[in-house]
Amino acid sequence: MPSEHRLHPTSILFALAGSSKALLLPAVLLLLTGRSSPDPDGWNPAGWVNRALPGDVAIANWQFWLLLFLIPVTVASLFKYFSFRLRYEGTELVIRSGVIFRNERHVPYARIQNLDAVRNLGHRLFGVAEVRVETGGGQTPEATISVLHETVFEEMRRRVFEGRGRAADGEPVAAPAAASLGVPEAESKTLLYLPVRELLLNGLLHNRGMVLVAAAASVVWEAGLFNAVSSRLAVGVFRPGLVRDTVRPLVAGDVLTFLLRVGVLFVGIMLILAFIRVLSMAWSVIRLHEFRLTRVGEDLRTEYGLLTRVTATIPLKRVQSLTVWETPLQRLVKRQAVRVETAGGPGTPQQGGAKQPREWLAPIIHRDAVPALVREILPGFELDGRDWQPLHPRAFRRAVKPMALLGIALPAPLLYWLGWAGLLIMPLTVGWLALVAWMHVRHTQWAADGDTLVLRSGWLWREVVVVPVAKIQVVGRVESPFDRRAAMGGVRVDTAGSASPAHRISIRYLARDVAAALHERLASQTAQTAFRW
Amino acid sequence: MTAVVGFGSFMAIVFPSIADRRFWLLLPLLPLWAVVVAALAWQMLRWPPIAYRFTSYLVDDAGLEIARGVYWRTVTNIPKSRIQHTDVSQGPLERRHGLGTLVVYTAGTQHSQVKLPGLEFATAQRIRAHLLPRDQGDAV
Repeated sequence: MPSEHRLHPTSILFALAGSSKALLLPAVLLLLTGRSSPDPDGWNPAGWVNRALPGDVAIANWQFWLLLFLIPVTVASLFKYFSFRLRYEGTELVIRSGVIFRNERHVPYARIQNLDAVRNLGHRLFGVAEVRVETGGGQTPEATISVLHETVFEEMRRRVFEGRGRAADGEPVAAPAAASLGVPEAESKTLLYLPVRELLLNGLLHNRGMVLVAAAASVVWEAGLFNAVSSRLAVGVFRPGLVRDTVRPLVAGDVLTFLLRVGVLFVGIMLILAFIRVLSMAWSVIRLHEFRLTRVGEDLRTEYGLLTRVTATIPLKRVQSLTVWETPLQRLVKRQAVRVETAGGPGTPQQGGAKQPREWLAPIIHRDAVPALVREILPGFELDGRDWQPLHPRAFRRAVKPMALLGIALPAPLLYWLGWAGLLIMPLTVGWLALVAWMHVRHTQWAADGDTLVLRSGWLWREVVVVPVAKIQVVGRVESPFDRRAAMGGVRVDTAGSASPAHRISIRYLARDVAAALHERLASQTAQTAFRW
Repeated sequence: MTAVVGFGSFMAIVFPSIADRRFWLLLPLLPLWAVVVAALAWQMLRWPPIAYRFTSYLVDDAGLEIARGVYWRTVTNIPKSRIQHTDVSQGPLERRHGLGTLVVYTAGTQHSQVKLPGLEFATAQRIRAHLLPRDQGDAV
């Protein structure tokens, strides 16, 4: 007899908190700019209510608006709390909710791609979690359950992934309650643990501090306080007329003062940049605190976060493609980053902060540890020692042309300001972009041996994309008119959930017969392998 | 279609000079407009047969392969095991001529829908019947 679970009572509280987050900024503005006592002459809904209320009770304008929003939200969340039911059937999860508009959602275990739990400070205080169930396709989770008790989430995770295994085997499921209680938790193996030192390094390398500063600046701007804040900050060194005061001693012949002022300015700017880096490091520590990647049976589990704790589960079978990413700064310290794509991921990587890090299996990992990690995710796959194929030998001649055009077009606006002197910049940009094209073509290699397709590319920013043939959906070959003239072609491979460009494989500038052969080979290999969600 | 294009280009090219009362501009602009309309009309009449010549498909046991494109030539290959479901649709024009469009849905993102228009209706249905998986456990 499958038992039914209900939402935790604090879900009402969290629903209120969630909606008031949207109202926070307008409410603050209203508080700051509105008048505390109702104005009888103006448009004054509070005044109307006050006339209707008996006795001496009088509410202010802002209180009226607050109640107007809070009451419907409270009522709606009460309805949801009382009507929500969660049930585990043999092969699927059944969720019922709604009083007026009743909804019953069946999510088959076999279709669940990801099961995540997000816990911010409030959630951890009460011991609850917001659960997100994602299936393939669509950009939002199929079910966002806010909030469930932690133990309920643990049980859900266990049942879903066991039920998935059993459903795939086709065995009849008898007495799931008793069986799942008896099955012990599969052995777990920590694949990666990031201590604070690594997190600090991650923050240093990625400079998220600029994003924070920009976000803070935009919030200040929206609140209309930008002028006040900037006038407060522009004291001392950074005041209007800074450049003029700095250059004046030089014009007057006093080189020492000029150098001194330039030095102070330089130190000031360096301090600000260092502060932004420190912000970035602190952000990285808070965001990814206690980052742990474990393999539990056939699933990968990542847990991280100091204030908001996120637990993400990625079944190994759902991994559609794997990317190893290396920025120039990371290369200096011998680190790389590993990311996987599943079919239930968000549409674009920029959507929401909590979703993006889930796909980072390893935000920062030592270069030597990467092959072992990749072997865990794609068993039998060796990252090194593949049969790397280069591009067409004349690929550079093709690749350099658009780069040269870009090198001429980019400094073109400068001509307007600098006059003919702007022409001097063009050889520099064209030369630099030609160098980038040359290195890019030289560093692009692909390998289609075995049952994977691997593309290695990039000179400064390097990435290796691995797609198992079993996960390839559609194979395409493209020939532009320029390709035809140069007897080249390109091969493109489509996978599920590859919305972000980083996970697509598109190999251009191959020789035409090589492209045709690769296309044929991938098509026949794909046709022979079955695709399992 | 020609009327729409003709009128639209007339408005874009010739009308401003009339509106500004600069009639002397009409001297070069009217022939220019005539040339533009002629080029567009020629394109509209001559393009479809050319595009038709370069469009082909191949259906076999492995799957469906569609070759399309005159300037940008693409060959798209969909293995049978990757087809999630299929549609055969007919708009009113297609219904009048007995044609249909085969739409194949996959789990991919760029090629989640692959369309093959201009098929004879019966042929589209036959291809669809062939592509749908009949046995659940296909070859590994």
